[in-house]
Amino acid sequence: MSTATMERTLEDSLLLRLRVEELLFTEADLLDSWKLESWLALFTEDAHYYVPPSDVDGDTATPDTSLFYIMDDPVRMRERVVRLSKIGAHSEHPRSKVRHLVTNVRVERDGDIIRSRSSFIVSRAKDITHDLFVGHYLHEIVDQGGELKIRKKTCVLDMEALRPHARISIIL
Amino acid sequence: MALTTGIINDKERAQFLVPRRAFTDRSIFEKEYEAIFNKCWLYLGHASELAEPGTFLTRTVARRPILFTRDKEGEYHALLNACPHRGALVCRERHGKGRAFMCMYHGWTFGSDGHLMTLPGSSGYPKGFKTDPQKQMVHVPRMERFGDFFFINFSKDGEDLATYLADAGDTLKLLGEHSPGGMQIVGGTQEYSIRGNWKLLAENSFDGYHAACNHSTYLEYLGNTKGALGVDPLKGEAVDLKNGHAMVEYTAPWGRPIANWVPIWGEEGKKEIDAVYAELQSRVGPERAERIAKKSRNMVIFPNLVINDIMAITVRTFFPTAPDYMEINAWALAPKEETEWRRKFRLYNFTEFLGPGGFATPDDVEAIEKCQQGYAVGGDAQYNDISKGMARDGAPSFDDEAQMRAYWVEWDRRLSEYEA
Repeated sequence: MSTATMERTLEDSLLLRLRVEELLFTEADLLDSWKLESWLALFTEDAHYYVPPSDVDGDTATPDTSLFYIMDDPVRMRERVVRLSKIGAHSEHPRSKVRHLVTNVRVERDGDIIRSRSSFIVSRAKDITHDLFVGHYLHEIVDQGGELKIRKKTCVLDMEALRPHARISIIL
Repeated sequence: MALTTGIINDKERAQFLVPRRAFTDRSIFEKEYEAIFNKCWLYLGHASELAEPGTFLTRTVARRPILFTRDKEGEYHALLNACPHRGALVCRERHGKGRAFMCMYHGWTFGSDGHLMTLPGSSGYPKGFKTDPQKQMVHVPRMERFGDFFFINFSKDGEDLATYLADAGDTLKLLGEHSPGGMQIVGGTQEYSIRGNWKLLAENSFDGYHAACNHSTYLEYLGNTKGALGVDPLKGEAVDLKNGHAMVEYTAPWGRPIANWVPIWGEEGKKEIDAVYAELQSRVGPERAERIAKKSRNMVIFPNLVINDIMAITVRTFFPTAPDYMEINAWALAPKEETEWRRKFRLYNFTEFLGPGGFATPDDVEAIEKCQQGYAVGGDAQYNDISKGMARDGAPSFDDEAQMRAYWVEWDRRLSEYEA
């Protein structure tokens, strides 16, 4: 490979990573500021949102055969956002203070899919409670006419259990 | 009349009051371990979790680390997971396959039945040391199974499991009848905690009264989701199952993979659900089949086993580590032979309502934690009211509180006996 080609490849992959990072940081920002409708707009219409439990291999497990914490299809993702907008979603009324830290972003192309793997810490604070969720995100991203959209988001908790936590009432 | 624990059970005035210190008092919490967790039958696990000989799992039950094994002959053992030498945890894995368990400290190695197989440096010990009963892993004093449900008891004496379960046994049998080929725990455990007293979760797990307010957003979600609602109204009764166990049994509008079809499952789904129902009818008879398929049940087996057979089946156990903190483990139970389609919908149903990421449990948690916080007011506000339905003629409704009163009466009896 010539130096010029290598530089071209490096440029491409850096550019792709920057585009994906921009998407992930935008996502984090929207979740932190409770702009959930806009968050939903980052996803494709057939998107899924998963949070596997701690005692399965979260990188490979499927919610069709293992009990997950969250296995949202597009209908349920929308309903999750609708529910969280109501005062009857008691767990998030008043709303928690939320902060998503996203780092160590790795990106690779897999045919038409862009796969991203990143690390997260999500902080949720509300009255007596301050919990940290630690883990890694697996994002499946597609390029829709120059715009990156998330087709699948899996939040793998690198935790032994959801303790002392009691709930994932926010969006991770 | 006032009971020893301070519970007021006044039938004439239709009043049942529970003192709030039952949820906050450190000395009551300690007594609960002596009088309840060290005396009652406690859920350990399900046979399907050790499907093959030579498998094991570790689990904490009422603060004690337990090693649950199946030896090569297929026998089940419940061992206190501590080395007889210096007390270190012997098995440090959550689950796996293996017939020998080596303590990582000095290498003492035990079989699936807890016997000492290998003693490194045995020349330093007298003859007969290795077979000394004191040098083997200790079995939990009692372990019994009811169907595929394994329970343990930390007390050597007391009633057998079937006697203890009383009428709750029939509901456990009913669960077994969901399938011609047996039930299994689906892989994946929901492990979480709540910053509230453990008895608040027992109450909440079969509280039919709180749904309309606490879970309004869940009910609205069912309404929003086209075809998620069936025709059956929320209606039913509370049943005292004796010995502190109780349940509410009722019809509900949600779909049940065994076997209550809702429009969202489509015509193909209807064929499958109809076939499941037909098989059920031919196997257990029309009356029992209707009960299994059409009725939901929330059951609490005293003190800390919840089996809710609702839009899916959850097996849930919990124990306190402090008056205001509990740890919870929850599993999904399902027919072994279930098709991929039905299993998927079962888990989809489960996560819709149940667990830390569901559309209902987070609000239960909020209610429990806010109760615990509210108890700090002290002063004259000393009692919780559990009277609903006491003045009613006839069977208590599913949204009354008779099931909780049955639980509290047993709680009081156990603590009072311990104090006597």
